[in-house]
This record gives sequence, C-alpha cells and structure tokens, in this order.
Amino acid sequence: MHKSEILHFAVTVVGKDRPGIVAAITEGLFNLGCNIADSSCTMLGGEFAMILIISLKSPFSKTRLIEELKPVCDGLGMTLGVRSLHSDEVARKEINDEICMISVYGADQPGIVYHVTRELAARKINITDLNTKLIGTDEAPVYVMMLEVALPDGETPESVEQMLAALKKELNVEIGVREITPVAF
Amino acid sequence: MPIQSILRYPHPVLKKLCRNVEKIDKTILSLIEDLIDTMHDGPGSVGVAAPQIGVTLRVCVIDVSKNRHGKENNHGLLRMINPEITARSGSATMREGCMSVPDYTGDVERATEVTLRFTEPDGTVREFVASGFEAVAIQHEMDHLDGILFLDRVTSIKTGLFRRKNY
Repeated sequence: MHKSEILHFAVTVVGKDRPGIVAAITEGLFNLGCNIADSSCTMLGGEFAMILIISLKSPFSKTRLIEELKPVCDGLGMTLGVRSLHSDEVARKEINDEICMISVYGADQPGIVYHVTRELAARKINITDLNTKLIGTDEAPVYVMMLEVALPDGETPESVEQMLAALKKELNVEIGVREITPVAF
Repeated sequence: MPIQSILRYPHPVLKKLCRNVEKIDKTILSLIEDLIDTMHDGPGSVGVAAPQIGVTLRVCVIDVSKNRHGKENNHGLLRMINPEITARSGSATMREGCMSVPDYTGDVERATEVTLRFTEPDGTVREFVASGFEAVAIQHEMDHLDGILFLDRVTSIKTGLFRRKNY
C-alpha cells in the first residue's frame, strides 16, 4: 500500500505592493489543502515579498501547485517561484547557540553587507535574520543593517565585536553586538 | 508525584483566570513542592506557575539565582501565594520563550522594576521591590495566573530559534 507522505515546497511571490496579495495567494493554497508551515512576508521598497514553506500530503506535484498559483500571480502582476524541498531540508535544526543582534550603520557606501557577512562566514557564524534599510537624505544617505546570528561554540558577543573592529574603522561605520538569546520561562 | 508535566497551549487551563488561595493547607504546600520540583526539572527554567501544571490557583514559584541574567540580582527561591504587583516602573524589551508555548520566541516589553506582595507558605506576607531579570520572570509567571501568555504581549515574533524539531 502506498504510504501518504508529507511534501514540502518553498514558494516565493514578489511584486508591486497592494492590498489583497496575501488573501489571493493563500486562497489558492487553501483550495489545494496546503499548510503554511513557516512564512515571512514583508514590504521591501514598494514591493511585497512573500516567502512560504508549505506542506501537503502526497500525491501532489510541483506542477499542480504552479497550475493553481500561476494564474493568481499573473493576475496580480507578481513573480512566482516554487522549489521542492527534500526531507532533509525540512527538518529544522535545533539551535542552542547564543543568538546575537549585530547592528551596523553609517554613511552609505558599496560593500557594507558583503564586508560584514564575509567576516561572519569566515568564522562559521550563521545568519538567522538580516534586514537592511537605506535611510537619511539623498545628500547624506545612511545605511542600516540589522543581523541576527547564531554563535558557534567559542564565539562570544565580545569576540564578534573584536573581530569586526578593524572593519568598523576601515568602513567608518558603527558596529554593535549584543546578546539576544531568548529566555525560556 | 513531585515533577509534573508542563501543560502546553492549547490546553484550556492556560487561558483561565486563576482563583485566590483561601487557606494554606497541605494541598497548597504540596502544590508548591511540585512547582519547585517541576521548575528544577526544566532545563534552565526560572519559574513555574500553577496553571502550567493544571492547577487554577494563584500560586507560582520563581528562582532566577542560578540563571546568568539573574544571579547578581535576586531574592532567591520565591514561593508565591496570591502574588500582586502593587507598583511598576521602567520598561525594557527581552526576547522571551515559554515552556507552555514551545518553538516560539518573541520580544516582550516589561516593567524593569516591580513592587511585589505575596503570602509565604508559612502565612507571612512579604513585600519587596524586584528589578531586572527577576522582575521580568515575576511578570511572566504572574501573567500565567491571569491566563495571559507571552504571545499576548509580543511586539515582534521570532520563531524556531530553539528546540524546534521539525514542522
């Protein structure tokens, strides 16, 4: 007997923001009987970006999912992306690492994100969340980047701050690191 | 039956308003012992409220003295019967999680200083000012007595950063 298994897909939808995008997309998912297991949807500039991890019981196919969502996205003028996830991608890692917030801000210049994240990658520091925003005026644009990272064994907020000290000087930006590990009551 | 299992949302007891303890008897004393044993059993747990083990009475225990955030500033093990916060001041945000709501964490704003009054198991009424991490723990546990979960107070949510096994 064929055992029904749970399939997972990563779905992205990006396009010009307007009211009703989430309702239209999730109506399609609801009609298919999909679960939204994880999602992050936000406005970036004038665009609205949705990233969803959806799950549903087999038998099902990526084609069927696209058939349902593509006309909805076309109607809204949005771009659709669908990726099938392997079962080993679905199991979420247990993180017991310390979580840190790294704030970086200063006069806008090319390479802020790259230079900071290159240092983190070299030390095997995993980024769990990253937001950037261009603020300030046209004459004096300021770049703000907020990163949440998981520290591997041996790293501390102080060691990360120390590691980024040279970069802070070189780019002439502010870099602060503080621990935000959740406390479970 | 010392260590009790922690109820998880959506268990209905977690959203109930708890009753005041009218009389401190054997049942209440053994409830407090159970709460303490359960707290010590939970990895890194700094507090447990009675509804978390299925009892809708205004009783909770807190001990932040072994936690790195609380070890410098605490009142030791607190056995709180009918606790009340009579004054609060300041405000700070901390990322909280809860044994009754696994897999979620979120930023919650709390008072940084609270004046706390409660009855001890021996019947004496105690009142003092708690601050910092201990004050956060007190507010979190006392919310349980009113059926309030940290999810009701989250200003920004972060999911899955600890102990999430899979979807």
